[in-house]
Amino acid sequence: MNLVVEAIGFGIATGAVIALGAVGFSVQFGISNILNITYGALMTLAAYVGYALVNRGVNAWLALVIGAIVVGVVSVAYNRVLLAPLVRRGTRAIAMVIVTVAAGIVLQYVIVAIAGPDSHSYGEQSGATLHLLGFTLSAGQVAIIGLTAAVMLALHLLLTRTTLGKAMRATSSNRTLARSCGIATDRVSDIAWLISGSLCGAAGVALAITTVSFDFSLGSLFLIPMIAAAVLGGIGQPYGAMVGGLIVGVSSEVAAAVTNPNYKDVVAFVILIAFLLIRPRGLFGAAWSTRRLMEG
Amino acid sequence: MTASTAAAPILEVDTLVKHYGGVRAVDGVSFTVARGSVTGLIGPNGAGKSTVLAVIGGYVGPTGGAIRFDGDDITSTPMYVRARRGLVRTFQMARVFGNLTTIENLLVAAPAQRGESGAAVLAGRRYWRNQEKELVAQARAMLDTFAMGAKADEPARNLSGGQKRAVEIMRALMMQPKLLLLDEPMAGLSPSLSRQLEDVLLGLAEGGLTLLLVEHELDTVDRICGKVVVMAQGRVLSEGRMAELRLNREVQDAYVIG
Amino acid sequence: MAWEYYLVVMLIYLGTDLLAVWGLNLEFGVSGIANLAYIVVVAVGAYTYAVCTLGPSSDLGGFQQYIGGFGLPWGVALLIAVLVGALVGAVIGLTGLKRLRQDYQAVAMLVVSLMLATVVSADVGIFNGSAGLALIPNPFSDQDPEVARWLYVGLVAVCCVIGLLVLRRFTTGPLGRTLRAMRDDDTAASAAGKNVVGLRLLVQAVGGGFAGLSGALLAGFIGGWSPSAWVYIETLAFLSCIIVGGMGSDRGASLGTVIVAVLLLQGVQFLPQISGSPGLKEDFGWIVLGSATIAFIWFRPQGLLPERRPHHLDPDRPPASLRGLLRRQHPS
Repeated sequence: MNLVVEAIGFGIATGAVIALGAVGFSVQFGISNILNITYGALMTLAAYVGYALVNRGVNAWLALVIGAIVVGVVSVAYNRVLLAPLVRRGTRAIAMVIVTVAAGIVLQYVIVAIAGPDSHSYGEQSGATLHLLGFTLSAGQVAIIGLTAAVMLALHLLLTRTTLGKAMRATSSNRTLARSCGIATDRVSDIAWLISGSLCGAAGVALAITTVSFDFSLGSLFLIPMIAAAVLGGIGQPYGAMVGGLIVGVSSEVAAAVTNPNYKDVVAFVILIAFLLIRPRGLFGAAWSTRRLMEG
Repeated sequence: MTASTAAAPILEVDTLVKHYGGVRAVDGVSFTVARGSVTGLIGPNGAGKSTVLAVIGGYVGPTGGAIRFDGDDITSTPMYVRARRGLVRTFQMARVFGNLTTIENLLVAAPAQRGESGAAVLAGRRYWRNQEKELVAQARAMLDTFAMGAKADEPARNLSGGQKRAVEIMRALMMQPKLLLLDEPMAGLSPSLSRQLEDVLLGLAEGGLTLLLVEHELDTVDRICGKVVVMAQGRVLSEGRMAELRLNREVQDAYVIG
Repeated sequence: MAWEYYLVVMLIYLGTDLLAVWGLNLEFGVSGIANLAYIVVVAVGAYTYAVCTLGPSSDLGGFQQYIGGFGLPWGVALLIAVLVGALVGAVIGLTGLKRLRQDYQAVAMLVVSLMLATVVSADVGIFNGSAGLALIPNPFSDQDPEVARWLYVGLVAVCCVIGLLVLRRFTTGPLGRTLRAMRDDDTAASAAGKNVVGLRLLVQAVGGGFAGLSGALLAGFIGGWSPSAWVYIETLAFLSCIIVGGMGSDRGASLGTVIVAVLLLQGVQFLPQISGSPGLKEDFGWIVLGSATIAFIWFRPQGLLPERRPHHLDPDRPPASLRGLLRRQHPS
């Protein structure tokens, strides 16, 4: 029993990182309608940028902020230079996925060529052990949960309380209509890529902080729980991805605790495939997301 | 001859309901299509006409209600099975197989092709060569009827909008349909092209083919449809001949008839 | 002689890559299914061949663990690898049962690939975990090594010839036409009476058979097989062959295999060694491969040898030249 409670605590911490990534992935899909697999490699990029900084004595949390900004800017450039022009040229969605996979591989191997194939570690970042509400968590995990909560609240306020947020939601649900309503969809799209890229970067560094060691495959392995969370929540919907992240995180950690740690990702995978085959719109998916996911 | 002794209708739509999320796109629609008739389905934007057509064609499943075609309940029959039974549809935006040539677009649609079967995989070309020759001749004849013989080997993606529409209709005809569903066939065509297409459709109807068309262009409906079903806000408002409907107050209110 | 051994290795890689690329081209180039889990099916073929030909794992004193260990003759094992590959290919194709967007289905298959690699690496009981299987029997091990190598080249060549004959039955003729129609617009294909779900499963089963054969032949030659041989990026290498060569074109895919899989990925071996970074040449190969894929999608999406469509305009015209004669052999 104690084991399960502990696993739930761990799951919330894991879920917080998954949610950061999944929300960014979802925002990107919502705004661009592209399933951007390069997202995984961009997380790896953030982890290595953060590592280079920590290695030079920068505080890990400052490194997280810088990593987020760097990947945010890289994401905007990536969309501007490669993805958006390809979409304008009429490249089919299926070819776009291959482009994002290929770009991810290029980025991943550029990182390997520069940083080498070895595993790295940020060193001990977890801090004191805390006992909260019956859970045993490290200070680092609590900080990441707090960070995620703050980021989600900020995103919520942005989407609901600001003109920019309304423009983003409008562009996300119907780009053509939004443009004809006078919304500068290209600028809105840049901002959405900046925000989602920053979330990607933050998730990459957070993941590297919380794991014992990481290498160039960090991002591609993280794609499984992250896409599972995004699909669970109804892909393209940021709020769904938040809840999806928590569900995937907690269920993976609990399953790992009661069965075999090697099968942690299997839970996320089963959730993903079950939802794809039974309810592709996700838990809270509205009709529009169904229409976007199905043919035609 | 009374209505009860007339031949059974080829299509019966029975209290069809379709919800999208919370939106009732179609809310209890019933009508029938008589064999050999040309029936029009009209209504203002958002009336649910295209949704009704999509449900009849099997592109989306209904939330409730039933569809009977040629005596069988086909409510949950997949689209391709409906097509094989003779319920064939075209799309609002003409859909062609862009990388295939024009004549290949027609050949694809031919029913019961020996060359698609498992036996063809085992036996090879000699198993399907003769049927293929006949189909090619049939397709070339049809292209000539539509004055598109010269485009036979052109990739379909290079065709104009009107030509693509024609390819779609020829492709439907290759399937030897019993009922042809047309979703706004005149949309995007020039007035002269629409008149040509009207003649083609009238010719098909004279040949005994049943047509059900959703159409925005009321003049077209006037010229080619017998019975017309008027929809508004997901329901059937009225049905009858176009001339009668023009005098109907309720229809006038829902659909400002020019 | 070293060069002779190298030539043998090249020919066998070329043959097994061709089989895999042909199968994937049937799925992706002809039928429009971006099967990002394709390398998994290649691995299934390799593991199937391995556990069919190897004896029970206890025979080697627990040196490696695996399920099965049937000690079957290599010919039977090859056949089983093809069948199991077809079965697993179809199972992966089940992700297409719901009428999902094509790119979405592709991502689902990518996740399948990542997942299975993680599980097989972590679980030693299935196929000996990340260390992989070794001592997989070579069919010609009782021959003189010099002769055995060339016999293996012959075996691969025979498999390629049979494979090509089978492949053409699917990519040409009315069936190939129907599959290409499904690729161009699957909704319109269903409206034309085509059972799209069934056709996709069929295609993924046939493609899976090719993948299974490719993997089995590779495992039999190398004698070992481990998760590092089937990382998801290997699927991209095959896709890259198809995109560079020409989607949907059997000749194009074959040319792409020679260029990408053989000249590029093997050619980087000849780059000068950079001290201190042993893996740098391979990294460079992947960077070039990824960039070339994107560049082709941008500048020449039809590839080097685009798909050709048969002419039906005047059926009675005699072929004017040898080239025309060859083209007319190409069935509609």
